[in-house]
Amino acid sequence: MKKHKKNRNVAIIGIGQTSLSSHKEDQNQVEMVQEAVINALQDAHLTIDDIDCIVHGNMELFEMQFAPDLWHSLGTGAYGKDEYRITTGGTTGMTLVCAADNLVASGLYDTVLAIGLEKLQEGNTTGGITNMADPLWFRNLQTGALTGTTAAEMISEFGEERAKRAAMKYRIMMDKHAVLNPRAHRRFGLEYEQAEDLMANSPQLVGELRLIHMCSQSDGACAMIFTSEKKAGKGTGKPPVWIRDHIQGHREETIPNLFGAVKPEMTHHYCARKLYERNGITDPVAYFDVFEMYDPSAWWAMDWLREFFLLKGDEHIKMLERGDFDLDGKIPINPSGGVIASNPIGATAMLRPAEAALQIRGDAGPHQIKKEVRHALASGFGGTFWTALMILEKDLNW
Amino acid sequence: MTEYFGATVADIFNTMPERFKPEEAKDVDIVIGYEATGEGGGKWTATIKHGTLKVEKVEELKGCKTTIHADAEIFVGVTLGKITAIDALTSQKLRVVGDARLLMTLLPKIFVPFTVTPRKKAVSARAILATVESRFRPEKAEGVTMNIGYDLTGENGGQWTLMIKDGRCTVREGFAEDLAVKLIMDADVYAGMMLGTIDGASAFTSGQVRIEGDMMAAAATTKFFHKYVDPNAAEAEELICLRVTNSIDQRFASGPVMGRWFAGLKEKKFMANKCPECGRTQIPPREICAICRVRVHEFVELGPKGTVTNFDIVYFASPDPLTGAVRDTPYTPIYVVLDGASEQDAFAFELKKEDIDRIKVGAKVRPVWADKPTGSFRDVLYFELDR
Amino acid sequence: MTCKHEDTRNCFVLEGKMALPNQYFAGRLGSKFIIALRDKKKIMGVRCQKCNKTFIPPREYCEQCWSKIAENWVDLGSEGELVNFTVIRYNDKHLPKKAPYILGQIKLTGADTPLTHVIQGIDPKDVHVGMKVKAVFAEKTTNTIMDLDHFEPV
Repeated sequence: MKKHKKNRNVAIIGIGQTSLSSHKEDQNQVEMVQEAVINALQDAHLTIDDIDCIVHGNMELFEMQFAPDLWHSLGTGAYGKDEYRITTGGTTGMTLVCAADNLVASGLYDTVLAIGLEKLQEGNTTGGITNMADPLWFRNLQTGALTGTTAAEMISEFGEERAKRAAMKYRIMMDKHAVLNPRAHRRFGLEYEQAEDLMANSPQLVGELRLIHMCSQSDGACAMIFTSEKKAGKGTGKPPVWIRDHIQGHREETIPNLFGAVKPEMTHHYCARKLYERNGITDPVAYFDVFEMYDPSAWWAMDWLREFFLLKGDEHIKMLERGDFDLDGKIPINPSGGVIASNPIGATAMLRPAEAALQIRGDAGPHQIKKEVRHALASGFGGTFWTALMILEKDLNW
Repeated sequence: MTEYFGATVADIFNTMPERFKPEEAKDVDIVIGYEATGEGGGKWTATIKHGTLKVEKVEELKGCKTTIHADAEIFVGVTLGKITAIDALTSQKLRVVGDARLLMTLLPKIFVPFTVTPRKKAVSARAILATVESRFRPEKAEGVTMNIGYDLTGENGGQWTLMIKDGRCTVREGFAEDLAVKLIMDADVYAGMMLGTIDGASAFTSGQVRIEGDMMAAAATTKFFHKYVDPNAAEAEELICLRVTNSIDQRFASGPVMGRWFAGLKEKKFMANKCPECGRTQIPPREICAICRVRVHEFVELGPKGTVTNFDIVYFASPDPLTGAVRDTPYTPIYVVLDGASEQDAFAFELKKEDIDRIKVGAKVRPVWADKPTGSFRDVLYFELDR
Repeated sequence: MTCKHEDTRNCFVLEGKMALPNQYFAGRLGSKFIIALRDKKKIMGVRCQKCNKTFIPPREYCEQCWSKIAENWVDLGSEGELVNFTVIRYNDKHLPKKAPYILGQIKLTGADTPLTHVIQGIDPKDVHVGMKVKAVFAEKTTNTIMDLDHFEPV
């Protein structure tokens, strides 16, 4: 069993975001990246000279641009510094944070800047996704990233009425959070009374997966600055947020194998199980104060809550129905509005730990959780059911 | 009528006929209904049949294949692109009864987008003519001696001569004696052409601009001058966007394992391979067992029949990035554990269209092969219910 | 472990295409730069007062001191000195000119960064670093850097 012992602890000391929208014609990619970087540097009270290394990520085939990190170097400040480029699909943002964590923990660098971005308006998402599949066989079957099988399974397990209501309640709850978040992309102002109407009339995409359930497609960038324990205390702007541990799990098999007569353990479950085990967390629902989960659709979100919290039966639906996931509930989910509200793909998975860190710091904004947040969980998700999971802490308590 | 974003709902329908592209609508036969509610709203139908369009304002929406409903402000906003259509559709502020994809596929294809000309501060013809001398390009008029007359009629009109000689251009009011050519038009038309809001060629063709004298000389004048730039243009900022469609040629090597798979299809066989350690099958076959990480050499034939473990009914198909073509929907990918396969080893393929209404988890299916398989993806047409 | 003993009877090669449709937004500064080239036939850079440096193509922030320089436009004229060059000797559909053609780096008067562009009107064997060149603008514009068509010897 591998030991995940760090040489030294790593703190998040700077967080910067751009606004997220689908109308960024007035900025080119470099300018968008630089906006996030400058925001992060200001947040940390640092200048670009304090940064030792840059970690850059996006899904390059979504903008159809090769090696964008070279082009963006004017904006990332990478000139003359070490730079790593990371591209891992939907999990890119989270992988950037994991990589930055590893780089600082190892002692190779003291202060690392990570940038995740996406400018989908400048590319073609479907083209990018289609080109992911092996050209000999699967490319012809590709339907993009959509499936309604989870909805069908939930309907079969919990009954049509209850399952559909749960997915819709989750969706409206996410919108309510997004309305509070000034940086979110899509804020519709949905009310719970609209549930019946939306359930019946939102256009169907695949099976019971409807347009209303699906995540956004946004342009935007997020930058974060990481540093060592020693440097974190000194003169930086905001209280540091500690990265306790992270794990990644990836199924190397082809996706159809998830739909056989016997379902394998989901990567969400596997990662959660291992992460909690090696950190001595026996009751994740009780332990964590917030969960920023990567939720590509309302259906998947509901299903995965059961996996991530290692629950059984209909416990997760009961929790939703009781209000445990609300902003003032037992374990708030996605106070930022989640991926359903904003999805700048290369940055999305980074926004999850970023928003979780803001909650710990207490300065998230109008969508700040009122109770003190000491322990946060953040997840990332990508194409082949790749899961990334991370624990953030307010204090060095492990 | 109430205006939103500088236009009325009626403007959209009144301009539909001129924005219609008949050549793109040759195979179209559809009646679309529109309902804009609230102030400035109304009901319209657009009947498109084999390259012709009829737009009518109506009392009731009858006989429409698809109807589009929104508040008048949302209607104009979405049409002008000020409000993102997909967001309006998702939040149900824009509702479609019928095929919602029309908004994204058919309508943009057969109509030129509706736009509103921004209300700029009016620049007079006189003010523009005052800049002619400074915009002159002597290097383009080497050896040219010419007098060009402008007879601008209407409220802000007047008569001017542009005199080009010895690498200089002088502008004088009134007409000179020996005009090579005289251009006659309304002063506002002149201003519009210089500002780019009126297309010169169309203005000439439609008779808005008349030319007396040497037509070729008139055509030549444009290259003697730099383009006029509206000083007020700072308000309406132009943002440049470049659109590119590249494609790269690629060659993919199948390797012996996928090669065996396709060779099997040619014989109407599903050739999976089987792990020597754990015994699980993999379809399509792969070089290595994904769980045991050992090389797999033994091939086994599976099926041909199998049991459906899962399926998706797809209503929305993403357009092909190169061609824009959209698959016929609904279509149904099914996941089948073929007879002889390991229980977790599902094979994905498409279900016969006619069976979509009767498909259930647990159903038994069989493949339907092409008459002459060639060792390609198209050898299996689809799976159908095994009755 | 190699595939030397693999049965290659079934191997084949599939010809395909990978589609790459995309858009590029020049942004506010980029658009201003291109529009100046296109409409006013002017080459504009931006200047950092602190570092005393003028950059072309223009960018929002000075790359040395990171102060915002987006409003400090400078007209760089249309003449400069060739500081570097190479000769392209192959053809490809994405290249702007037919081979052989000269690609050079031109330091315009007043600029601290060179601009990469095509040099025409001189034989490749006669091109040399230090020669003076001037800009020639395009007749037909495309909203790209090629609205400046090429540079030629003064």
